Amino acid sequence: MTISIKGFNHGNRGVGIRSHQLILPTVICSTHVSRRIAAEVGAVTFAHQHGCAIIGDDVEGINNFFVSLADHPNVASVLAVGLGCETIQSQELAAKLLSRNKSMQYRIIQESGGVEGTIAAGVKAAYELSEAFPSAHATVAKLRVGLDLGREVSDAAALQQLLTDEGCEVVVAHSETSSAETFSKLSQENVHVIISFPSDSQPASGFPLIPVINVAGSGVLHMAIRGDFDIDENTLLSGIVELLTAVAAGTETVAEKSKSGEIRAPRVVRSA
Amino acid sequence: MSSPLKAYKRANGSWGLRNQVLILPLHSALSSTARAIADGSDGAVAISHDWSGEKDNDLARIIFTLSGYASNPNIFATIFLSIGSPEEEQIIKGAQALGLTRFTNLLLPEIGSMEKLQLEAITLANEYVKEASAQERVDAPWSSIVLGLECGGSDALSGITANPALGVASDRLVELGASSVLGETTEILGAEHLLAARAIDPAVGKKIVEMVARYEDSINYEGIDIRGAQPSRGNIEGGLSTLEEKSLGAAKKAGNAPFTGTLEFGEIPKVAGLYFMDTPGHDIEQLAGFGAGHINVVVFTSGRGTPTGSAIMPTIKVSTNTPMYVSIPDLIDLDAGTIADGIETLAQVGDRIFDEIVQVANGKLTKAERGGHHEFALSRMYKTVVR
Repeated sequence: MTISIKGFNHGNRGVGIRSHQLILPTVICSTHVSRRIAAEVGAVTFAHQHGCAIIGDDVEGINNFFVSLADHPNVASVLAVGLGCETIQSQELAAKLLSRNKSMQYRIIQESGGVEGTIAAGVKAAYELSEAFPSAHATVAKLRVGLDLGREVSDAAALQQLLTDEGCEVVVAHSETSSAETFSKLSQENVHVIISFPSDSQPASGFPLIPVINVAGSGVLHMAIRGDFDIDENTLLSGIVELLTAVAAGTETVAEKSKSGEIRAPRVVRSA
Repeated sequence: MSSPLKAYKRANGSWGLRNQVLILPLHSALSSTARAIADGSDGAVAISHDWSGEKDNDLARIIFTLSGYASNPNIFATIFLSIGSPEEEQIIKGAQALGLTRFTNLLLPEIGSMEKLQLEAITLANEYVKEASAQERVDAPWSSIVLGLECGGSDALSGITANPALGVASDRLVELGASSVLGETTEILGAEHLLAARAIDPAVGKKIVEMVARYEDSINYEGIDIRGAQPSRGNIEGGLSTLEEKSLGAAKKAGNAPFTGTLEFGEIPKVAGLYFMDTPGHDIEQLAGFGAGHINVVVFTSGRGTPTGSAIMPTIKVSTNTPMYVSIPDLIDLDAGTIADGIETLAQVGDRIFDEIVQVANGKLTKAERGGHHEFALSRMYKTVVR
């Protein structure tokens, strides 16, 4: 193995290549409060439209999705923020998360004095978490790399071989239109980093918690917005190891710099 | 009663109660850029969504929703952020057809990168905001109000205090010539026959019953008994026992006026009156349907309390009980719990809600507006998604 990465020991979550504090809104109604808390303490959060009025298989599916985000190796600690009356009950989710990792707290808007009260309580809890659970350095035993194949990539097999030879574990996923749901699925596979080949008609995109290296194709759109990508497909094989090593060591990808990355949980049923 | 209203008159004759500059990303990858543009501007607003151009069976619904939302009369101008796909073009054309005249489509591939897009959009947004603030409100008729009726986090008092009080306000407005729209099909399930009996003619009544049956079928299709999933756990903790009890209470938001017609999700009412719109119970998906249907002010009753609002529609929150109003003061505009405590009558609280709607229509900011709550969610049916 030639890629040796100094990462962060996150206990039961594993060793990550980022040390993010995640402010996890358990329902769309708490995304704004989560964003205010995250901005104040320098944590990561994201907008989503899930957590309430979900039925059938989506209840368990979205619960599991939130658990997997909170369990991701790139996460140092989690503050879950709920509203209080949503389908996914934040107390139960919190209990599940706490049974896996101690570096976790939760606050509920309906029980914390509304918006400003919850922001104040959340900021305090977030600081407490960072203080109580500082990230210790550790070596990443095996870098897990997700490949998001949204287009035909002639070098895909060669890339996979190259990464395997470098000691990485490679998880391959094919996206149909956009990378949104593929990223969600790869996050559930606990990949440390994603190399994305969006379709020629799709822009580069990111995912919270996981650095995404966007590879530009030769199509008109990708050439027009080359600045949103990290590397070109035709220089991929010669440049990817160096780039991947840098990103794994902490260099931000373009998508990380622009903080782009909404999440879309895999869904199968309409909202009730 | 002559109207005390002052509003923004739009070219197609509709009325805006706000003069927003909306940053609308037409691809989810541009959502964070849209928020950064709004944050960096002098008062433009943005929404986020998770549609990335997927062409599944929800495509038409998504295009329709975004076209309607982008052309809501509360908007002075819309700045579209796009990657240049034909579907995005369809959304913009749809918005024009629905009355949007001031807009710019900023194409990411023409501008070259998200970073440059952000800078260019902030400059443009500030120009629009400046123009918007120079426009003055003019005398407007009662018909300028298109009220949306919503409830979320209901409790045992919802059907006794806030909802019937909102019904009083809705009836007064409809009587004066305004429009009022009841949504949330989930929440009238079991009470549809009572609403149908109030239809202006049997055809409208039949349509209401059909819409509810269609909704229940779409849920049953998934093998789920909605009557087992509702009321939600939050509702049960709030003291509601059955879906029918929740529905009977929820329907009271629409007062006693006759139903003029029914509206599909995001459909715009053509003449003034009271309507029923087929929307899901998910508060934010339902608000998106209201926005797309050109509703320009919303009253949202709640037993448990919610911080949510809209980027384009002022949303007045009414609590069903006083303890909640007291415990989360920055979420709720008005308290209807006084009815249960014997301090005020239903009619008195109804009048207070009516007065608040008039003041908010004339520019008074709601708590959700002051807090900057701009939640948005696309409604999807998912029925034919095969993976």
